[in-house]
Amino acid sequence: MKKKYWLSLVVLLVGICAVLFTYFNTNYQATIAVITHVEQLDDVKVKDQYDDTDHEITQQLTLRVLNHQHQGKNYTLKNTYEKSQLQDQKYHQYQRVFVQIRRNQVSISNVKRDWVIVLIIFTLALLMMILIGNKAWLVLASLILNSVIFYAVIRFDIQKNGAGTITIYSLAAIIFATVSFLLYQGIHQKMLAMLTSTIVALLLSFGLSYLIMRLTNEKGITYMAVEYATQSPRSLFIGQTLLGVLGAVMDESTDIVSSLSEIIYHNPRITGQQLWQSGRAIGQEIMGPLINVLFLIFMADALPMTILYLRNNNAIAYTFEYTLSLGVLQSLISAIGIVLTVPTATLCAYYFLVKREASK
Amino acid sequence: MSTMLALLLTLLILMILIGGAAGIKSYLSIIINFCLVFLVALLISWGANIILTAACFVPLKLLTIIYLGTHDTRIADKSFLSSFSVTVIIVLLILLFNFLAQTPGIGEQAGEDLIGLSDGPGLGFAAIGVIVAVFSTLGAISEAAVAMSAGLIELKHQNEDLSALKFYQSGLNIGEDILGTAVNTILFGFFGSFLALFIWYTRLNYTVSQILNDKLFAQEFLIMCYSIIGVLLVIPLTTFVVAHSKKI
Repeated sequence: MKKKYWLSLVVLLVGICAVLFTYFNTNYQATIAVITHVEQLDDVKVKDQYDDTDHEITQQLTLRVLNHQHQGKNYTLKNTYEKSQLQDQKYHQYQRVFVQIRRNQVSISNVKRDWVIVLIIFTLALLMMILIGNKAWLVLASLILNSVIFYAVIRFDIQKNGAGTITIYSLAAIIFATVSFLLYQGIHQKMLAMLTSTIVALLLSFGLSYLIMRLTNEKGITYMAVEYATQSPRSLFIGQTLLGVLGAVMDESTDIVSSLSEIIYHNPRITGQQLWQSGRAIGQEIMGPLINVLFLIFMADALPMTILYLRNNNAIAYTFEYTLSLGVLQSLISAIGIVLTVPTATLCAYYFLVKREASK
Repeated sequence: MSTMLALLLTLLILMILIGGAAGIKSYLSIIINFCLVFLVALLISWGANIILTAACFVPLKLLTIIYLGTHDTRIADKSFLSSFSVTVIIVLLILLFNFLAQTPGIGEQAGEDLIGLSDGPGLGFAAIGVIVAVFSTLGAISEAAVAMSAGLIELKHQNEDLSALKFYQSGLNIGEDILGTAVNTILFGFFGSFLALFIWYTRLNYTVSQILNDKLFAQEFLIMCYSIIGVLLVIPLTTFVVAHSKKI
């Protein structure tokens, strides 16, 4: 118990140092400056082409450069932004920013945000240490390991330039699942049940959805609406969908197998019929909320664009097609995966935890 | 038939087959939830007060997800209680971090998509960013709360004479497993939703520091962390709520 608090204290101290270091760090390729003074010069009411009123505000900023050849010099510049802050933004005193200096003309290229990323990582790690204890390391390790695999998958995808997407991302999904389960569970019957259920449900649900897509000739899928596409948007959509399904199916397999195994532990002679009852009961309860998790992740993302489209007097159907429809499709395919997981997880729990244990 | 309609019908049939009447209710909860998201977008685009809209719709969404998605009112009551308290804490966290990171609006990568759209629509996009973050976390928080209380109540049901200590131990077991995979759902949801963006970063050879300081990356990364922190807070709170409820 005491060890846990010592470790938390260490994480806290390391965290504070890391945040302060990143905040004050000026060792970048780009030039960094700090805003020393802000003065609002102008506030003009403007109307856009759709008759919406906004405010165009001009601020005068004084910057002090912190590194490279112009270190220590002060510059002033004007920043004009819309009050909406859709594309441009307001700057505050003491904010650190990346700048470009050409012929004594300074322009802000980006805000320095990396220290906030470090801050939230340590907040997360600290909370995990305090609330969960030892297992926190595993969760953090799996986050890092999965990110590394994700990076490798992206490299591979770029090399193939959008070809063979289904194979790449199905294999990636199986690797992600195996690695995560190995880390969290180690190798034992419960883990095998979870892993088998995840892979079966993933392939089954994606196969079914893909079949439906082909049978309907992918009618009404607006691949043009895939954001930030640098390769075939269809391949991006399929990759994104497979990854989304994976998370949900893993989550539910674990929830069901984990709860069932507690029940089996306290009552080892449970029949298949009783187990299916319990599995279905748990499944029914989590199915809806779980579908909503992914649904909200996919939907909320597109919310700013949806609002902007609607604000600009676009028709509802057009807005839906170009902003939300792909997210809805992804959620639907994930939802099919989630529903199919209920029987696969219960079957796997029965096979691995009741039948195999009994035959030992 | 369009693909979306075919998928909608397939899902409905599957949910009825496996979930029965409960499945229909879950299906409804998803449809209603979609309508709520769209209604929020419509209201804000008409100029409704953004903070008020959020204050009305956040509890409303929690209610739909939990009470329509869950069919056992005992589970629903406990889940709502714990997820609502967690949401309040998370909102405060979001306000703090969104202020620190200064990530209002839409990333520079969206440039092409913005052609023909107004850049001064007269809506506070910093506040809209907060709503996006809160909505993204709601799903994860309520799902973890429901999974937690469903497991705990099912356990209490199967073993009525379980001692308090054993109950907490089993609670922690279930909680650890739920955290582990909830983190993965969030992580893969995040990967899935931003695969295209990461491919963009890699193809255009962004440096690590460019990615870490990028507006879109910061927005998404923060949202992912808010969700994980939400799930973390759900575990002790739900165990506490279920353990201290007499009538089960």
